[in-house]
Amino acid sequence: MLENYLPVLVFLGVGMAIGVLPIAMGFLLAPRNPYSEKLSPFECGFEAFEDARMKFDVRYYLVAILFIIFDLEIAFLFPWAIVLDEIGMVGFIAMAVFLGILVIGFIYEWMKGALEWE
Amino acid sequence: MTFELFIFYVFATVTVASAVVVISSRNPVYSALALVLTFFSCSGIWMLAEAEFLAIVLVLVYVGAVMVLFLFVVMMLDINIAVLSQGFMSYLPVGVGVALAVVAEMALLVGSKYFGADIIPPPERHVAEYNNTAELGNVLYTVHMYAFEIASVILLVAIIAAIVLTLRKRPLTRYQSPEKQVAVRREDRIRVINMKAETEE
Amino acid sequence: MAYVFSPSDLVQVAPEIFILSMACVILIVDLFLDDRRRYVTHLLCQVTLLGAAVLTYMLGFGETTMAFSGAYIHDAFGDVLKIAMYVVTAAVFLYSRDYLKDRNLLKGEYFVLGLFGLLGMMIMVSAANLLVIYLGIELLALSLYALVAFDRDNKTAAEAAMKYFVLGAIASGMLLYGMSMIYGTTGTLSSTEIAARLVDLGSDDLVPIFGLVFIMVGIGFKLGVVPFHMWVPDIYQGAPTSVTLYIGSIPKIAGFALVMRLLVDTLPGLVVDWQAMLIILAVLSMAIGNIVAIAQTNIKRMLAYSTISHMGFLLLGVLSGTTEGYSSAMFYTLVYSMMALGSFGILLLMSRSGFDAEMLDDMKGLNRRSPWFAGMMLIMMFSMAGVPPMAGFYAKLSVLAAVVDIGLVWLAIVAVLFSVIGAFYYLRVIKLMYFDEPVDDSPLGGSADVRFVLSLNGLAVLGLGIFPAGLMGLCLQVLS
Repeated sequence: MLENYLPVLVFLGVGMAIGVLPIAMGFLLAPRNPYSEKLSPFECGFEAFEDARMKFDVRYYLVAILFIIFDLEIAFLFPWAIVLDEIGMVGFIAMAVFLGILVIGFIYEWMKGALEWE
Repeated sequence: MTFELFIFYVFATVTVASAVVVISSRNPVYSALALVLTFFSCSGIWMLAEAEFLAIVLVLVYVGAVMVLFLFVVMMLDINIAVLSQGFMSYLPVGVGVALAVVAEMALLVGSKYFGADIIPPPERHVAEYNNTAELGNVLYTVHMYAFEIASVILLVAIIAAIVLTLRKRPLTRYQSPEKQVAVRREDRIRVINMKAETEE
Repeated sequence: MAYVFSPSDLVQVAPEIFILSMACVILIVDLFLDDRRRYVTHLLCQVTLLGAAVLTYMLGFGETTMAFSGAYIHDAFGDVLKIAMYVVTAAVFLYSRDYLKDRNLLKGEYFVLGLFGLLGMMIMVSAANLLVIYLGIELLALSLYALVAFDRDNKTAAEAAMKYFVLGAIASGMLLYGMSMIYGTTGTLSSTEIAARLVDLGSDDLVPIFGLVFIMVGIGFKLGVVPFHMWVPDIYQGAPTSVTLYIGSIPKIAGFALVMRLLVDTLPGLVVDWQAMLIILAVLSMAIGNIVAIAQTNIKRMLAYSTISHMGFLLLGVLSGTTEGYSSAMFYTLVYSMMALGSFGILLLMSRSGFDAEMLDDMKGLNRRSPWFAGMMLIMMFSMAGVPPMAGFYAKLSVLAAVVDIGLVWLAIVAVLFSVIGAFYYLRVIKLMYFDEPVDDSPLGGSADVRFVLSLNGLAVLGLGIFPAGLMGLCLQVLS
């Protein structure tokens, strides 16, 4: 089975090389002459006013968490789709119930207004 | 050493090294990125164990979604790194002690005495057409149906919990609602009033 | 091998299906209710619990059967515990209603999360598969994390929820790690098969024992026994009292079921090993729980330490490894959940809008304000201390008898010693109620139904102490 994944391994290796080599080469070959002014963040000629980090609205996280939940749900669909002809009606209904329960969650979040940005 | 074993050691080394970076890095963003690498190499190890579906789900869900959320949180949040890493040195001896104890205990167990090839024979390598995802699907939706449905209830509770804890109504925010804009009719906006023409007295 | 689904499996899990469907219905119905009609949600929950109790009673108490390829076990033991959980949940919802209303927390989600937590506990109670046990625990835990943080503008509640979540996640990881070791050596998830294979493997295999250690850490955390008790006082204190009431009463029943399903049903081959571990946990819990409780000024925190010591006592019954021991532990659990229900219920009754009865000093002069409920609290405190003729006395006695029966007399002596120490702080509450001047003289509020059920609750603890034979016989019967 693993031989099917040899191309993926080669791909990983090549991807790694393409990612690492230019940085390594730049690091080794390019002239480097850092000084503090050069390393400071550039903000239109001003001193940086504040830290780039700041408090974000919790709604961003809510959307992200809701996304993850439905992402997980989709992960369950892949094996199901592959074996649907073998597991028959039982498997179909099992998935229907699974999705039904999550649809209730979906209705809840919709009605609650969690999907609206206001 | 076979080629497969070589690959395993590469992935295992990367996993351990990046896991060390996760806990030792001072910058939480680096930690999160190192955790992504840990997940990647773990997924490689799972792939070597012929658990292809799990390997891909690990990348899809953890690297694709969970870690992105994680990065999002640590990059955006106003975290004072200096405060977070305080006390690291004072906890270090205890931590190292516990870690060594666990390593010693694991070494006792994970030797050939209990997990040797004569006690737990290595599973046979499958043919090229073998499909681990199908194997999983065959039991997940039938034999483990009960557990599968409970999993969906857990996801439902997660939805409810996330909304209960974070959703706030802001009655004062102003925003457009396109559906109302589209549905507007002429009568809603314009009132035609018949007035007598003003005449000069 | 083709899997054949038998529709009769659905009948076995009818109570679970009923609770799940009703929780979903309530979740949706609640969206359409405004705050004034929120009582409909509460009413629907009570109807749900009643329906589930009827279903469990009608379908239950028959032969032990398995469903869903051995993932679900349907036996009289589970039926009794489930019915007990419905009753306690119904009381929790009733006691919480006015408290939540006064604090603008009366939302449908409180009840829905409560029902989902209950569902998780029901799953634990009748789980016969490591995977299902784990999922049940997680379903309960997830609901509890959200409930603790329910009052989200409250800093201490948020902090408590955070602590609970982080520690709970670590404990779940430990539990799962232990389960994976058991799975690795036996190659199966089913409780009955694991039990059979561990006997075949013999006792020289270290791996299952190592797995047991990790499982024990997980169980210890979920029960809140020393040295895995750190979360208990903080969460009890930080959570809104109505949530503390929930956490302090119903999950104890589920925790006992968890111990029975994991240790007694799944790992009977390792009885010698877990017996030794439980002795350590029990002695430490009784010692630290009872001694540290003395130093508390916050009554919720004091009751949290008292919970720790009671869980230690409960483990005494389990570690005896005999049917009598198990049934005495079961009796103890049921009585304890009633006592916790009553004592936190009175704290809720004493709270008004803008005032939480939290400190020991708030108990001062309760007798002057309401002799009847001071009497109820007296029953609870005497019962927790183990003073005859309360139910707590008989529960302690039967557990101790089970320990003496297996020859661990020293353990029984230690237990008695620590409960004598523990009696001090229970008696202090009684002293405050009866001999101190009240800080404010206002009589207790509370609606008629709450007062009625709370009175029933108190009288039940007294009644069970005078006539323990019925419940004790039932416990013995379902376990043998």
